[in-house]
Amino acid sequence: MRSRYKIAAALFATLAASIVLAIAVGSENLPLFSLDAQQTEILFDIRVPRVLLAAGVGASLAAAGAALQSLLRNPLAEPYLLGVSNGAALGTMMAFVFFSNFEFARPILAFAGAGIATAVVYKMAKSRSGMSVERLVLSGVIVTTFLSSIIVLLTSLLDAAKLRSFTFWLLGDLSQASATGFYYVLAAAVAGTLVLSSQARSLNLLMIGERDAFDFGVEVKRVRLIIFTASSVLVGTAVAASGSVGYVGLIVPHLVRLAFGSDNRLVVPFSAVAGAAFVVLADTTARTLIAPREFPVGAITALIGAPLFIYLLRRAG
Amino acid sequence: MLSGCGSSTEKAAATGRTFTDGLGRTVVLPEHIDRVVSLAPSVTEMIFAAGAGDKLVGVTTYCDYPEAAKQIKKIGDTQTPNIEVIAALRPQAVFVTTASQIQGFMGKLESQNIAVFVTDPKSVKAVEENLRQFGEIFGTQTAANAEADKLSNRFAELNKILQGTTRPRTFVQISKEPLYTAGKDSYLTELISDAGGDSVTKNVPTAFPKLSKETAVAMEPDVIILSASDDNREPNEIFRNSTAVKSGRVYSINADIIARPGPRMAEAAEEMARMLHPEKFADNKQ
Amino acid sequence: MSEKLLELKDISVRYGGREILRDISFGIDAGEIAVLIGANGAGKTTLLKTANGGVKPASGEVLLDGKPIIKMRRREIAKRVAVVAQENETKFPVSVEEFVLAGRFAHSSAFGWETEEDELAAVREMKACGLMEFRGRSMNELSGGERQRVVLARALAAETGLLMLDEPTANLDLSHQALMFRLIREKCETRGLGALVITHDLNLAAAFADKIILVGGGRMIALGRPSEVLSAENLQSVYGIDVLIDENPSNGKIRVTTVYN
Repeated sequence: MRSRYKIAAALFATLAASIVLAIAVGSENLPLFSLDAQQTEILFDIRVPRVLLAAGVGASLAAAGAALQSLLRNPLAEPYLLGVSNGAALGTMMAFVFFSNFEFARPILAFAGAGIATAVVYKMAKSRSGMSVERLVLSGVIVTTFLSSIIVLLTSLLDAAKLRSFTFWLLGDLSQASATGFYYVLAAAVAGTLVLSSQARSLNLLMIGERDAFDFGVEVKRVRLIIFTASSVLVGTAVAASGSVGYVGLIVPHLVRLAFGSDNRLVVPFSAVAGAAFVVLADTTARTLIAPREFPVGAITALIGAPLFIYLLRRAG
Repeated sequence: MLSGCGSSTEKAAATGRTFTDGLGRTVVLPEHIDRVVSLAPSVTEMIFAAGAGDKLVGVTTYCDYPEAAKQIKKIGDTQTPNIEVIAALRPQAVFVTTASQIQGFMGKLESQNIAVFVTDPKSVKAVEENLRQFGEIFGTQTAANAEADKLSNRFAELNKILQGTTRPRTFVQISKEPLYTAGKDSYLTELISDAGGDSVTKNVPTAFPKLSKETAVAMEPDVIILSASDDNREPNEIFRNSTAVKSGRVYSINADIIARPGPRMAEAAEEMARMLHPEKFADNKQ
Repeated sequence: MSEKLLELKDISVRYGGREILRDISFGIDAGEIAVLIGANGAGKTTLLKTANGGVKPASGEVLLDGKPIIKMRRREIAKRVAVVAQENETKFPVSVEEFVLAGRFAHSSAFGWETEEDELAAVREMKACGLMEFRGRSMNELSGGERQRVVLARALAAETGLLMLDEPTANLDLSHQALMFRLIREKCETRGLGALVITHDLNLAAAFADKIILVGGGRMIALGRPSEVLSAENLQSVYGIDVLIDENPSNGKIRVTTVYN
């Protein structure tokens, strides 16, 4: 038990340190303790909002990933692989194309897209005898590739100028953080993680089996609805603000489980903390490695995430 | 005319002329050219400028200048040309830029005895040379050389007008969000210089980099030039406190004339010069 | 007369337009072990699910401790009935102790951590089922027989009055089969629990049941003591096989032997 406290403390410390580091570095050298007017503007208008957006996006995707994995009894469940991210991305595209004047159209349609994708994958994966890992992964792959094709089709039909924006959406891009936009992502991240954490005990039972959970007193349908809705809100707001950042929802909960075990009362909130730190660090890398140019952050998370995942798979099996 | 069979290079060598294209490749073309296809709008403009527009039998869907280009048969676009349509037109050569992934279809074209000529001018000088080369290729030396001279003269004239001016710090915004600009490898950097300005992003690697907003703000441009397109109607909001925005020196320019290396570069440079140094142009046409 | 732990009155269940069960009525008292037998696909599991609220009957009533189940919330039901069913392999590492503690869900609030009471209950059941040496181990490390004991311990930890067991010995070898049934019998006797057990092993049923419910073609063919229900006639009509009925000399209970021609 004691070592868990240590690890938890280390997690929070890592998040704090990541944020401090991220604020301290960037493509411009800012002397943090003696800023002039323009440098202050750069720091507070550009850098800090971006760092906080990264934290919000990371927390949202990791918490949603942790909850979905437990609910669907599948360690491979993740918003990106399940097509939920692409659903949100497609919703965002629709908002961009048809409702470009309403700022709130994006997160709302992103949420709708995420929710619909979740529902479709769930329905497809469910069969008379329950939901096997294979069916779920297969359904996720089908939905995500189908949605990707639609996204690509739409970008081909659109003006070549708009195409630039969307290749970045599909790989995640935090550069479009506005000075105030990060508020609602952070708010959603906190609220969503709290909601998911509140269902953690039920998730612990659901993780073992839907029937088991039902038999021992979990209101399965209600919990499922809460988890799907909260995850869709989390994924929707994250994707609307920053595009589809992959691997966060997959890798972070796994690492957190390695450190804390499978108890969702720990895994969900700590995934949020660790996810925030992960994306903050990934984005800091994305915007400093080839400064003043930038990589899309999703490229960095994939570069770290994919090999890490292979390593985890080999350790497990 | 080339006949059908046999190794194309051997046959052509017997009857054709050799040229070195933009990538340093040796290309064999027939003595007399009258059917060619262009796979890029810039190339189409160059061929017309060289006086050989009547020899174009196929162009891309985006080739819209000059007017006459719109009447020519469309063969797809730069990234995805329709090889069957091209082959059906039986051109003697296809002119492409490096934007086309030629490895994919080069083999198919060569097996049909269609030569592939890559053109990739990266500077004003290169455009001039290209024009003259086209004159040689198409046998339109008189028109092509005249066009090349005209181009040269316009730049020289511009240079004269701008003598003694100071160069304002200029930022070219290609797209607002994400923020794209023109970098080291883009001829836009040179064009801005010819227009009497100094591109603040002239040392940023690659041709069209996505730029960090922090760096953009720190560059403190005096002038912002927007390449006119739907996603680029205003400067990125991080520029709101810049000298450029505060003094109202934000200008929009036709995206085509700055995106296509070709004869209209002079027009682009002149237009930008008017934006950067209005005082030097008595007629004040903007 | 105290309330029956479980009472089914004229239960009919439909699924996809088909009638699976019809006119099923029986009850279970505290301390009583009722065994449900019948051919595969006869609807035994459906009946179990109906008894704990998992399936809604088309007609009829289910009562737990005299109260209609349709008026109860999930938690309330879970406080009265605990289920021992086939255990799924989890892809996430769960320890034996965590697994057993999950049985306490209905006793706690939805948030927060286990209470001391919960911990005590879990330890008590792990001891009762001989699992203390495995308590920190991951479920995936245990053998089939050991895992089934954990599933039983979890159900016992819920401290309900009624247990429902769906083929609790299905994948176990002979020694573990007998062990499981003995464990179930012992807990019912010492704690006064009632149990509804589904099994396909007629001799195990005969050995341990206080009463047997024989289901065939969706209807209740017979209800009563093993000696009453396990007759050659009944078994022939439900299973379509010939059997020899005699007495098991070791325990004096009914012995059913299949006649292979």
